[in-house]
Amino acid sequence: MVNIGIMSFAHMHAYSYAACFNALPGVKLAGIWDDDKKRGQAAAKQFNTTYTGNLTQFLSGKMEGVCICSENVKHRSMVEEAAAAGKWILCEKPLSPSLEDAKAMVKACKQAKVGLGAAFPCRFAPTLMAVRDRIRAGEFGEIYAASCTNHGQSPGGWFADDVLAGGGATMDHTVHVVDLMRWIFDREFTKVHCESGNQLHKKTLKTDDLGSLNLEMEGGMQVSHLASWSRPKSYPTWGDVTMEFIGSKGVLYVDAFGQKVNVYSDRAARSEWASYGDNPDLGLVHDFIESIRERRSPCASGEDGVAATAVTVAAYKSIKAGKAVRI
Amino acid sequence: MNVLLIGCGGMGRMHAEMISRSGLTLAVCADEARPAAVALAQKYGAKAVTDGLKAIENKNIDIVAIATPTPEHLPLIKAAARAGKHIFCEKPFCRTVKECEAALAAVDKAGVKLFVGHVVRYFHEFETLREQAKSGRIGEVGFVKLYRGGLLPNGPKSWFADYKKSGGVTMDCMIHDLDWLRYTFGEPKRIFCQALMKSKPVFMDYSQVTMRMKNGIIATVIGSWAHPAGFRVKAELCGSEGLIAYDSAEAPLTSMLRSESATGSMIVPSSPVSESPYLREWLDFVQWIDTGKCPRVSPADALKAVAMAEAALTSARTGQPVAF
Ligand SMILES: NC(=O)c1ccc[n+]([C@@H]2O[C@H](COP(=O)([O-])OP(=O)(O)OC[C@H]3O[C@@H](n4cnc5c(N)ncnc54)[C@H](O)[C@@H]3O)[C@@H](O)[C@H]2O)c1
Repeated sequence: MVNIGIMSFAHMHAYSYAACFNALPGVKLAGIWDDDKKRGQAAAKQFNTTYTGNLTQFLSGKMEGVCICSENVKHRSMVEEAAAAGKWILCEKPLSPSLEDAKAMVKACKQAKVGLGAAFPCRFAPTLMAVRDRIRAGEFGEIYAASCTNHGQSPGGWFADDVLAGGGATMDHTVHVVDLMRWIFDREFTKVHCESGNQLHKKTLKTDDLGSLNLEMEGGMQVSHLASWSRPKSYPTWGDVTMEFIGSKGVLYVDAFGQKVNVYSDRAARSEWASYGDNPDLGLVHDFIESIRERRSPCASGEDGVAATAVTVAAYKSIKAGKAVRI
Repeated sequence: MNVLLIGCGGMGRMHAEMISRSGLTLAVCADEARPAAVALAQKYGAKAVTDGLKAIENKNIDIVAIATPTPEHLPLIKAAARAGKHIFCEKPFCRTVKECEAALAAVDKAGVKLFVGHVVRYFHEFETLREQAKSGRIGEVGFVKLYRGGLLPNGPKSWFADYKKSGGVTMDCMIHDLDWLRYTFGEPKRIFCQALMKSKPVFMDYSQVTMRMKNGIIATVIGSWAHPAGFRVKAELCGSEGLIAYDSAEAPLTSMLRSESATGSMIVPSSPVSESPYLREWLDFVQWIDTGKCPRVSPADALKAVAMAEAALTSARTGQPVAF
């Protein structure tokens, strides 16, 4: 039996991960810690586990791994404490909004000899796994360009608070695609230009809600990426991850979450997509459990998290400078 | 009014039909390639010639329609203006801003009317997108994504694949979207572009633009001449209270012809309308000549469209944004 703890339910993905831990055989969600007592207690009740308000006490528990879903800027201190307690760690993305913090987290885990994973569940979406396999098998020849999107509905709350999130939509919705591209091609990003705006929510947000990035990868691949909170409340789903690849032998387009049926219900205010197929979060969580059992780093490692953060940090630098910058 | 059509290729054939449907007379078809001129002239009972410049001098001609490759636009516009003819010219207006300015000067001096075929302004779906955006239905628009592309036109041996001549997908195809963005959302502020413009191992171009408009709107525009088949247009407008989306792949009509080849045939989408956008641009132009009512596209608009595409290509070369 592998015992797991969840630290903070500030990020809504925690609810999905908790359900996944509970669904996996041989895994026990042993406890929840949260700096928001009410939220933590409610989650503990929902997932049939216990809540602990004292972090030291929580980390002295017998769990072997923790999953951290706090606000972005709190990741570092929580990772460092969990690492010091010898726990294997799965940290919600972005690993950190700050490159310095992200690197420190990797270092702390190395010193403590624990595994650190960045939560990039897209790596476990069968649609995207197929994309990776087919591109790597050479089916589309050499890939010269890609245009990508990661749109979402506005999550509001701390996500749009610079102090807690360290950025806005560009921070929130760039790292998935960056990680996918690095994972597919084993190449790093070298350059980025970004235009961003806070202009889709009548200025009610404190951060950008939109970033249009043009990036370059090693070897000169030209990549555009749209990171936004542009899906309205009436939209039939939360958002998307899409990618179009232009290769010497052909093109490939993927709508990663396009496995859906359309639902038109008079009981709902909007038409909805009901998804079918695999749940990528389950793959992510399963890999994390396996990494604990095998004492290895999770599939997307802390270093992968650092690399993704390096791109968002450069994107924000580009916004400020009004020009393309090196990564 | 009598029309001289110069350039009887893909677009020339389209315009010949529109000219005849607008109540004009297609009098002369000119193309360097004699068979192209002859075939089209026969269909419409016109005269076929190979020398467009000479045909411009014909006294009976009232309008010169130019559908030649882009680098041929300037000399033909100049000659037509000098001869006092009204001019219909395919987009891009000219290959460079400098050429556009020279063409404009000639047209102004001659006092003739020049219309450049930014036909997307007349496309029904783009009209509806524009109306919906302007109606306030989705609140304040903050973000626009446009996508246009498919096959490299006419294959690697055509003038399109000579990027010096065509300007690649950015100048030749994406210019439609750049123009429509300005038409709908006002002046651009700065532009960033990445463009492939490959000739080896295959001819293909793929252009990815981020453009900031003066009013703050961010537009992401993708143009493709990199697809092995087909043609697709997508548009997405995001506002503070909603989103408007269009995708040509969701056409009301799709057909597929049985083919002998092992790979099968292609799905061809279509969206029939009673009045083609190409006819509408011609009617707008003719009305301008007849009544003086300004058409949807002015020569200054056409120049600005070239300026945007040119700035994009400069950005693609320098790797930095270009301000307007
Ligand atoms: N509005 C649109 O939707 C659209 C679509 C495609 C092309 N275009 C534009 O239309 C123009 C023509 O493109 P096309 O697709 O018809 O090209 P095309 O290559 O099919 O046809 C060009 C024709 O012009 C002839 N020609 C070349 N130089 C000439 C000259 N000096 N005098 C007489 N004839 C000459 C060629 O022999 C050929 O028949 C270009 O400017 C292009 O950018 C517009």
